[in-house]
Amino acid sequence: MSHPISRRDFMKAGLGAASLFAFGSPRGAAGTPLRVPGRAATRLKVIVLGFDGMDPKMTGRWIQEGKLPAFERLRSMGAFRPLATSVPPQSPVAWSNFIAGTNPGGHAIFDFIHRDTKTYFPTFSASATEEATKTIRIGNTIFPLNGGKVRNLRQGRAFWQVLEEHGIPATIFKIPANYPPVPTKQRTISGLGTPDILGSYGTFQYFTTEPQEIHEDIGGGQVHQVYVINNRVEAKFPGPINSFKKDRPPVEIDFKVYLDPQNAVAKVVIQDHEFILREKEWSGWKRLRFSYIPTQSASGICMFYLKEVRPHFRLYVSPINIDPADAALPIATPESYAVELERKFGPFFTKGLPADTSALDNGVLDDGEFLEQDAFVFEESRAMLDYELDRFDSGLLFYYISSTDQRQHMFWRLLDENHPAYDAASAKTYGGVIERTYKEADALLDHVLGRIDKDTLLLVMSDHGFNPYYRSLNLNTWLRRSGYLHLTNDFKQEDLDIGFPSTDWSRTKAYGVGLNSLYINQKGREAQGTVEPGAETDALAREIARKLEDFTDPKTGERVVFRAYVAKDVYTGAHSGEAPEIILGFNRGYRISFSSPLGRVPREILEDNSSKWSGDHMGAAEILPGILFANRAVAAENPALYDLTATIMAVFGIDKPKEMIGTSIFKE
Amino acid sequence: MGNEKIKIDKALVDKLRKLAELSGYSSVEEFVTHVLEREVAKIEEAGSEEEIKKKLKGLGYIS
Repeated sequence: MSHPISRRDFMKAGLGAASLFAFGSPRGAAGTPLRVPGRAATRLKVIVLGFDGMDPKMTGRWIQEGKLPAFERLRSMGAFRPLATSVPPQSPVAWSNFIAGTNPGGHAIFDFIHRDTKTYFPTFSASATEEATKTIRIGNTIFPLNGGKVRNLRQGRAFWQVLEEHGIPATIFKIPANYPPVPTKQRTISGLGTPDILGSYGTFQYFTTEPQEIHEDIGGGQVHQVYVINNRVEAKFPGPINSFKKDRPPVEIDFKVYLDPQNAVAKVVIQDHEFILREKEWSGWKRLRFSYIPTQSASGICMFYLKEVRPHFRLYVSPINIDPADAALPIATPESYAVELERKFGPFFTKGLPADTSALDNGVLDDGEFLEQDAFVFEESRAMLDYELDRFDSGLLFYYISSTDQRQHMFWRLLDENHPAYDAASAKTYGGVIERTYKEADALLDHVLGRIDKDTLLLVMSDHGFNPYYRSLNLNTWLRRSGYLHLTNDFKQEDLDIGFPSTDWSRTKAYGVGLNSLYINQKGREAQGTVEPGAETDALAREIARKLEDFTDPKTGERVVFRAYVAKDVYTGAHSGEAPEIILGFNRGYRISFSSPLGRVPREILEDNSSKWSGDHMGAAEILPGILFANRAVAAENPALYDLTATIMAVFGIDKPKEMIGTSIFKE
Repeated sequence: MGNEKIKIDKALVDKLRKLAELSGYSSVEEFVTHVLEREVAKIEEAGSEEEIKKKLKGLGYIS
């Protein structure tokens, strides 16, 4: 049971003073100046630990069972609350709510995936890359005359930009939805949304003598057939597209692997590296340089894993992360921050979500191998957190942990006997992975609690909760059967190509792109719109929303969509008009299918999810809150993500910018 | 703006001329330019779509 903090205690903590300032008082009771112009001037210290995807029900249960003593200690010092998440509860959307202090109408990130209104083709929501517009060709080589650039599409100011304007120093470590990092003098390094060097969300390479074992069109990886001849494998390692060359071929690196004729050991020779791996051994980071033309190259880092030497040769190579020592794309502010971390720790994970869920999902890595890889991620996070804590003396430190999210996605199937992918044998070994992950988070929190002084405000948060993913909805198939979407051939059973190539737009009124988004095919907005904007669109959106909420799964009798939010009812802010018309809030256990988000129209409306990607968080915001813990009493009974932004403003005595919609959780 | 000459088989040129007239183009050059521009745009679009497809695929939520 938490108790509201007395104003006296709040003052002692150095926080109440700031809160008073927010009400217009120029000074705290002790006469401490509150708005401080420079780094050394603020005595206030705020640490925000962000554990992606930590769920309040599971956290609460394991606290009750005595398994999370540090979280229990933090709760007893202040408060534990569910933290209202975004609509929809996707990480880029939810973290943007926190970053900008708004709902998606304010920051314009509505989904992982948006669409091009001219082509209906899916696009990244978070960033856009623009290549050089002026080039000159000499022979087969094209030289850019002006630089290409990458843009962060999130709108509004990030809270650390506001802090900077008021002289409050901040370090923002891998917060999602900040790629490329927005301009600031604060120390920031990008997280979720940061691509690998191929420009993708993560593409592993897999060299094997048995490529037929892996589906040829796997997401997130490339499979290469190799041959063992005289105990030697020769292959080409594909790098980024070479936009300097006419046909844009990938930059390739030749490499060789020499197999020990007797033992399960091999030597890899690539560029200036020569290293020996035993079977089932990871190489650690290796730096590769991809040369476009003699004067231009890009540096990347990756890890090799020798899965098997014989009878079948299998070599996995992680997605090539941007090299923090020589970043080909912008990942940090100032740029020297990434270099500084690299000097201290050596190469480190820079790709958005570093654990390779695609490799696990496609059977390239097994459960144990995936966890070994993710353990590297977690250990690295822990070491870098210590480094930041060592030098943290004022202002704000935000620190992000990804493993809590990634492991819940991949291991829910072994926690839950009802899951279609449950496997009793695997569950014996890995059924406790999620619980162990929460305990690791607890150990990390314990470490932080042991390192901070009593005046430091500590907030521990997650962006959303988690639930099982049993059944998939093919939204575009539902729209087709409901008469809102038509294929050019009415007798065609399905269309499995992405981007709606067989959709008859002249007869289509609505379509789904992204993980929660449904758009009305509006005249004047979409290239081949059919529905008038305004009243006609509004009426159609409400009609479809009602039908979606009424739709039940014939297999279970349950509703598939818990809430179909009409955007106009839930979004405010300058960018509300860019939102999809309907945001699907799925019922517990349901999610969009893997194929519908990219504009496919499969045959079945509903399917079992038998993949290893078995836990998810695409549900209604009401059923998937995140967590909030504070080492001070919290007045707010139902805090939301954007309230934490308002809290940070209040704590540092900054008048809340008008676009921010939250209120301080400490406000009485 | 400079002009380049391209050799095209005579039978095809005859066909193009006929189609240009039927479609209301003022010249065969105008017709050929229009058709080529449309085809090139398609190819460019397909290339960028392929790249987008590859990039999105690493996102675990989709396949």
